[in-house]
Amino acid sequence: MGAHLLTLVTFIPVLGGIIIAFIPREKLDAIRWTAVAATALQLLVSFVILGSYDRMNPDIQMVEHYSWIPAFNIEYFMGIDGLSLPMVLLTPFISFLAIFSSWKIPKAQKGYFSLFLLLDTGMMGVFVSLDFFLFYIFWEVMLLPMYFLIGMWGGPKKEYAAIKFFLYTLFGSVLMLLGMLALYFSLEPHTFNMIILRDAAPEIGQKLLLGMNAAKVIFMLLFVGFAIKVPIFPFHTWLPLAHVEAPTAISVILAGILLKMGTYGFLRISWPVLPSATLWFALPMAILGLINIIYGAMAALAQKDLKKMVAYSSINHMGYVLLGMSAMTAAGMNGAVFQMFNHGTITAMLFMLVGVVYDRAHHRDIDGFGGIAAKVPIYAGVVALAWFAGLGLPGLSGFISEALCFIGAFPVFTWITIFATLGIVLNAAYFLWSYQRIFFGPLNPKYENLEEINKRELWTLIPLAVVVIFLGIYPAPMLDLMSGTLNQLVDIVKTAGMMAGF
Amino acid sequence: MDLTQLALSLKYFIPEMVLTGFIVVAILYDLFLKPETSHRVGFVAIAGLVVTLGMLYQQQGIPATGIFANMFALDGFATFFKWVVAIGAALAIWMSLDTKELENRRVGEYHILILILVLGMFLLVSATHIISIYLSLEMVSIMSYLLAGYLKENSRSNEASVKYVIYGAFSSGIMLYGLSLLYGLTGTGYISEIQAQLVLGQVSPVMLVLVTVLLLAGFGYKISAVPFHFWTPDVYEGAPTPITAFLSVAPKAAGFAVLIRFFNVALSQGDPNTPSWLALPGLDWPMIIAVLSAITMTVGNVLAIQQNNIKRLLAYSSIAHAGYMLMGVVVADQTGIAAILYYAGVYMLMNLGAFFVAIQIKNIYNTETIADYAGLGFKAPWIGIAMAVFLFALTGLPPTAGFVAKFYLFRALVQFGDGFLWLAMFGLLNGVVSLFYYMRILKAMYFDKMEIPEKLTAVPLHFNVLMFILVVPLLVGWMFGDPLSIWAAEAVQFFF
Amino acid sequence: MHALSSYLILSALLFSLGLYTVITRKNAVAILMGIELILNAANVNFIAFSKFVTHHVEGHLMAVFIIMLAAAEAAVALAIILNLYNDHGNINVDEANALKR
Repeated sequence: MGAHLLTLVTFIPVLGGIIIAFIPREKLDAIRWTAVAATALQLLVSFVILGSYDRMNPDIQMVEHYSWIPAFNIEYFMGIDGLSLPMVLLTPFISFLAIFSSWKIPKAQKGYFSLFLLLDTGMMGVFVSLDFFLFYIFWEVMLLPMYFLIGMWGGPKKEYAAIKFFLYTLFGSVLMLLGMLALYFSLEPHTFNMIILRDAAPEIGQKLLLGMNAAKVIFMLLFVGFAIKVPIFPFHTWLPLAHVEAPTAISVILAGILLKMGTYGFLRISWPVLPSATLWFALPMAILGLINIIYGAMAALAQKDLKKMVAYSSINHMGYVLLGMSAMTAAGMNGAVFQMFNHGTITAMLFMLVGVVYDRAHHRDIDGFGGIAAKVPIYAGVVALAWFAGLGLPGLSGFISEALCFIGAFPVFTWITIFATLGIVLNAAYFLWSYQRIFFGPLNPKYENLEEINKRELWTLIPLAVVVIFLGIYPAPMLDLMSGTLNQLVDIVKTAGMMAGF
Repeated sequence: MDLTQLALSLKYFIPEMVLTGFIVVAILYDLFLKPETSHRVGFVAIAGLVVTLGMLYQQQGIPATGIFANMFALDGFATFFKWVVAIGAALAIWMSLDTKELENRRVGEYHILILILVLGMFLLVSATHIISIYLSLEMVSIMSYLLAGYLKENSRSNEASVKYVIYGAFSSGIMLYGLSLLYGLTGTGYISEIQAQLVLGQVSPVMLVLVTVLLLAGFGYKISAVPFHFWTPDVYEGAPTPITAFLSVAPKAAGFAVLIRFFNVALSQGDPNTPSWLALPGLDWPMIIAVLSAITMTVGNVLAIQQNNIKRLLAYSSIAHAGYMLMGVVVADQTGIAAILYYAGVYMLMNLGAFFVAIQIKNIYNTETIADYAGLGFKAPWIGIAMAVFLFALTGLPPTAGFVAKFYLFRALVQFGDGFLWLAMFGLLNGVVSLFYYMRILKAMYFDKMEIPEKLTAVPLHFNVLMFILVVPLLVGWMFGDPLSIWAAEAVQFFF
Repeated sequence: MHALSSYLILSALLFSLGLYTVITRKNAVAILMGIELILNAANVNFIAFSKFVTHHVEGHLMAVFIIMLAAAEAAVALAIILNLYNDHGNINVDEANALKR
């Protein structure tokens, strides 16, 4: 308790970023290794957190709770439970690996790594905050570095992509701010404390706002903020652009961690604090999940750009999360959070692999390759693993979580689930079809001398692959971490819903 | 009013008297200086402001008092704004010291005029009688006209000043006519007595609405609220940049001070020290101001998008910020007013900062066009980072104090209840619009020309010090206990 | 007719004439004269109210202050208009349009 582990895990990266700011820009290696050290240290602390986490206790742990701005009852309140722990593990893991995949970033490396580490702090802060105000600060802090990282180091349309990402998310977060303030004033004394808000959920459900049920109004305000991050159709249009234009490591972060913040926000705030509105919106949410699944898969199928295809696959994969978490069953909820984690690792692999081939061929046109499996067998092997994980092959982690989502959703939203399984077929179709077009068939003579994947790239992928395979075969350790908290969450929502007459 | 009372009042007037003393000293000192050394008057001016601030500090803790036969009030509210104005003036003079725009000319009067302007604002923020309001408002205005046209060989500066004087004199004339009607309707010039008369309900609401509209012309012009904003972009573009920076901050804050004092004392019912004081029945001025606020921020933001000149862009953005601050006037209770005070303090830092960067760029590259900022973030990394902080603060993004300032405003609106949620929504969405044009500057600085050119060394050290002074409070000032918000909340408690 | 109303009508007329002048004229000095009319309208109001409503010297004092202030403002405004004349050779405000709209 006294170790301030959560403060450490949050602020270590930004300290590294500040150190980098004072290293002369010529000392490239010093800059890179400082970044590595900062993320490695963060990863280490996250393992310590894992070690001291009590998985029998579903409530929040490792609490750090101080008064911050007393005039407004704003608190510095951090803590983790089974919902945040997977994310607290995922964030430093992906960040650490992403540092290596940005090793060869072309220009202004000093700024890049500083901003990267600031981004890391922002993301981690979101996952450990239990005060809504603090949560919001971290949520917004993360936008600034992201804007620069896309806009400065991105592809040809980087400026447009960066500002579009920024405007979309800011639009969402101002609505979230309004919802947050409405929540703050719904209780006496006013508070941003998520635990107090959760315990007062029935009271909030009774209030009126603008002549409507306050819980529903607030839910919708927060919904837009989170939905843009997930992204839920029709708020997704920033995503393909941002993913395609961002440099590889940033796409990895964007898909691997940032998207999770949206669903995490739902589960951390909307679900427990506004349970009656959650039940009221569960069916629309499931339908939106279905749309995400089908639309994401169809769009991915139509892409010629490999990176864009992977970007749309994220929309598809986040659809499973939405479906699972709207079902309000233990299996669905566990599946959803597990899928959040798995998508983080799998999509990180996908984007890194796209980056590898792009660095060599300088294009990402799926039809522009052909038959390169013979030239780059190791690469082809790793891609095969990642692609299979992406399409949810049994034995790999994605399968378990997707299956759990479907199992959980089936009794509740039978027809939606049946239609959603169609998404799996489409999902398999675009992964397999793209794999076939790139690696099989006659060799494109342009790639006579295609370089094999190098050691640095391979070693950034191997840890991810190990996690994907391990959790595919033996998911119990991860599920054990989460299930206590998530089952409790399901109970909270259901009980409150019972009281509200659903 | 007899002489003993006058002498008693003088006791509460020390900062103003000290300031006047320094004005006289500066004028005399200027007589002995050659044109090329006349900038030394600036040091006297800064010294004068520092001593004045010290005297203001001495006044802390004095209970709210009416002085000079209640023509002026000494209260926490006025003192807060005096601090903002005096600090803003000191920073503006500091910025003027090395400005190329003011090179090769006599600048003694320039600093003296700024000091007189500060004195005018000191009076304005504490005025409680219609004639003291009008006179101090004019004192501020006339000095502003002169400063805006200070570069008299420069036709743009002249044009700015002509437009300023015509719009200014016109709108203050209209306000004066409104004040004269109000005097006739209530039979008194003291704003607290006006309120006492108005709550009796014998004045026709139609006349009151007319008077309010006439008054808004004068106040609205001072804070550059739409539709009284037409002078703003031209004046801001034409005036010397430090003056633009100063005008965008200090007279605006003072204008808000008098607007709040007038509306919340004269046109409300009940005691202003109660937690919620209401507008007069039959005169729904909160709604009028809410509409004005929504229009102001939208017009400011939408027009800012098309600007290519940095000063003009910041001019429109300052219109938008006036709109944000008006949101606090709408709420018209302690939290709303405290939020405006807080906003005024933070806005001073961030807007002065943005203009300050513009001054430096103008000094080094002689350009005001945003497109010419290309690659600046790499040529001058510290200026670049500072500008990013200022722009993020202006947009209202965490972790800057700009966010907290906006947060307090929205908090006040949401707390008020359902009535003005639409305005909060409006304000928040306007924040998103503003992001677009603020980021255009950053885009030019960072995205447009990414190379590592020679580093810039032309920035004098004391400019970097000033930049540091502006950046640090914006970044970390609010994180540790937020002293400014506590002070703002206390300042409203003593509302006279 | 009541004495007060006649003064008020006079001041309203002055005010309207001033407003009209400011809006229609292009000559900077003429605009300035319009503004003076508006100020004098207010002066008439103050004095009339002082005489007929409050029976107090306050209104007269205000009028004196305003006359002083109008003189100061006119001095500054004329100085600024003189600068405009030096630039343009005339004092037509419509020609002062170097600052883009």
